[in-house]
Amino acid sequence: MQTSLPQTASLRILIAEDSDSDRLILTRLVSRLGHQVIEATDGAEAVRRFREAKPDLVLLDALMPRMDGMECARQIKALAGDELVPVIFLTSLTDAGSLADCLDAGGDDFIAKPYNRVILAAKIQAFNRMRVMHRTLTQQRDNIRARNEQLLDEQSIAKRVFDNVAHTGCLDAPHIRYYASPMSIFNGDILFACPRPAGGMHILIGDFTGHGLPAAIGAMPVAEIFYGMTTKGFAASEVLQEINQKLRRILPTGMFCCAAMVEADFHLGQVGIWNGGLPDGFLLRRAGGKTVVHSTHLPLGVLDPDHFDATLVYHMAEPGDSLLLMTDGVLEASGADDIMLGEEGVRSAVSAWGSGAGVVEHLVDRVREHTNRQPDKDDMTLIALEIVEEQEDTGFAATLGQSALQGPVQWACSYEISGPTLGRFSPLPLLLHVCTQVSGLRRCSGAIYTMLAELYNNALEHGVLRLPSEWKASAGGFARYYLERQRRLCSVEDHFIRFELRHRQTDSGGELTITCEDSGEGFDPAQTGPHKEDGACYAGRGLMLLQELADEMTINMPGNRVEVVYHWQAT
Amino acid sequence: MSEKKPHLDEEALAELRDVMEDEFPVLIETYINDSRERISALQEAIGSGDAEECCKTAHSFKGSSINIGAPRLGDICFSTEQAARASRMSDCANYLSEIEEEFRTVRELFRDRFGAGD
Amino acid sequence: MPIETHRSEDGRVLTIRIEGRFDFSSHQAFRDAYEHAEPGVAQYIVDLSDTTYLDSSALGMLLLLRDYAGGDGSSIRICNCSGDVRRILSISNFEQLFDID
Repeated sequence: MQTSLPQTASLRILIAEDSDSDRLILTRLVSRLGHQVIEATDGAEAVRRFREAKPDLVLLDALMPRMDGMECARQIKALAGDELVPVIFLTSLTDAGSLADCLDAGGDDFIAKPYNRVILAAKIQAFNRMRVMHRTLTQQRDNIRARNEQLLDEQSIAKRVFDNVAHTGCLDAPHIRYYASPMSIFNGDILFACPRPAGGMHILIGDFTGHGLPAAIGAMPVAEIFYGMTTKGFAASEVLQEINQKLRRILPTGMFCCAAMVEADFHLGQVGIWNGGLPDGFLLRRAGGKTVVHSTHLPLGVLDPDHFDATLVYHMAEPGDSLLLMTDGVLEASGADDIMLGEEGVRSAVSAWGSGAGVVEHLVDRVREHTNRQPDKDDMTLIALEIVEEQEDTGFAATLGQSALQGPVQWACSYEISGPTLGRFSPLPLLLHVCTQVSGLRRCSGAIYTMLAELYNNALEHGVLRLPSEWKASAGGFARYYLERQRRLCSVEDHFIRFELRHRQTDSGGELTITCEDSGEGFDPAQTGPHKEDGACYAGRGLMLLQELADEMTINMPGNRVEVVYHWQAT
Repeated sequence: MSEKKPHLDEEALAELRDVMEDEFPVLIETYINDSRERISALQEAIGSGDAEECCKTAHSFKGSSINIGAPRLGDICFSTEQAARASRMSDCANYLSEIEEEFRTVRELFRDRFGAGD
Repeated sequence: MPIETHRSEDGRVLTIRIEGRFDFSSHQAFRDAYEHAEPGVAQYIVDLSDTTYLDSSALGMLLLLRDYAGGDGSSIRICNCSGDVRRILSISNFEQLFDID
């Protein structure tokens, strides 16, 4: 009989029994089962011995002097706390009420007199299994609890790091309204905005697949690339290409980022939008009506760099127009009835609003109404950008980190790009970087970038590509202009654009001379020059801007070489 | 008591001898001493009319008697316990003499059988 | 069983049918559906006729299947999409990667 039972580990068993002969028998029985016995002759002693010896199991006589078994069981159970210490009553009690009292006091079972060694062994065995299982479960629960606390701790640290990386931008600009629910960050939503050196800004809103930390972690490199490249003057499509390549490399297959990138240029009155996998965005016109911005690309991190298309769709936008973008948490918001707000719900809420960046709050209210839920359960991100007059756009220079370096003061360089590179590579970030090595120029990097950009765009679009700026005056022509630009960029083999930069120190500060020459046929500044009445003429506006920013400007005939001189004052 | 149980439970005693090995006489000795104390306690409780003390002592006496393999003594203890619970103290006094008599028998049997108990 | 597979007579086509919600909870079952199939599959059909909902993790799972099936050289047809499911696939422009009807 004994051999059929699985081997029991040696336990420490407290036997509390006032009858000497009964205790003698039981002690002997239990010892012979291989356990260590701790004896007590009454209830008070039992509690004391329990406290000292921390036994694994207790055999307790129900009736004892100086504290009966019931009270003793209660105290032992209280002392054991979370630990399961089985208490088995030794009893010759026969009435059901007394037996029930034993269980109420925390007893786990009974053994009736006369003791039977097989039953005794089986019960000890069974309760030991239960005790071990209970301990395992308790340990696992404690582990899970500790892990969870650690995880929450780590999340709050991660969130602080994340906030530092993600919120260095200009989300607080007066013409931006946004809503990012508390849940959204750790469900992989991202929302970044950063001013461009030339004015205007880039906005990136997105949603990584999956949940929790794995989804959130991808946001870090995206933020770094987005802010780093935008600040250095890279174009939105270049930023997108870099982000896509990075995500493609680091994310496992099946994980990606649905996102939309916005390149807002208040000076030109245009917004470029790239939507890869986010729900429809809306360009809300001040005058009424809206343009829907569909997703036309695969999400970021899906395609190889060779197949990735970072082409933005450009829209003309006037002050008072607003651009609204959102993650799919808005569409998927559902109430108790499990019905999602859906595309239609969003569309009708947007239509009911009209225009203006307040559409964000309006839509958030609409979601609340639909879900009938507490705000902290949301998982969604929305942003609206209001197009403003250029002057209202907050400056870029203020956001640039200051460097202690003095940098070079007396230097010159020449940089030329030619052939197919013209269509694929923008020299502007590099040139801006060279210029901003001069500490005095760093403060006016916005103006420098604008001059470089105007010179370059003028040379590329009008000099090399010979695109007529009049096209951009109408909505239809606008699209045609960008299509044609793409097409013509494919055949620029024999062309070049050359920059020459020269800097020297002056008594009051410094002087930067920028010369930009292209291989085009040139233009007649008298003809294309600043038309006062025709503000829509792009080349005209560009030249006007250059004249405004630069202290001197010379156009060499036949009009394919422009030189500007810029002075800065030491503070 | 519907039917009188035997003085000794042979099976239980055989098991006890097996378990206790050479400590068996010590066990018998212990039981006899315990029982003597209990009988005095019962006499005192009945004498002073303390039903509760009588009930408790009879209960314990019953348990150790059953365990040691003296079922008839256990039964009389049980009757005493019940009478005490119902405060029938004159019945208790009657049962006490039965207990004393049965205890004498058990003690003699132990002494004859195992040479222990005195 | 929310995910069922069917192999064509010639063994070249494996059809995976997803019933109900196609989301992260289907992850293991969906992977098992193609990874545990006998070799020799030339075309995969993902039948979504009984799929009521599809989320972005399901899109991720479809990309995993695409990788498994040979990436750009794979042949995967996603068929019988309901309006909602279809819309989610289009928002992410999965037509560029899958044959969807």
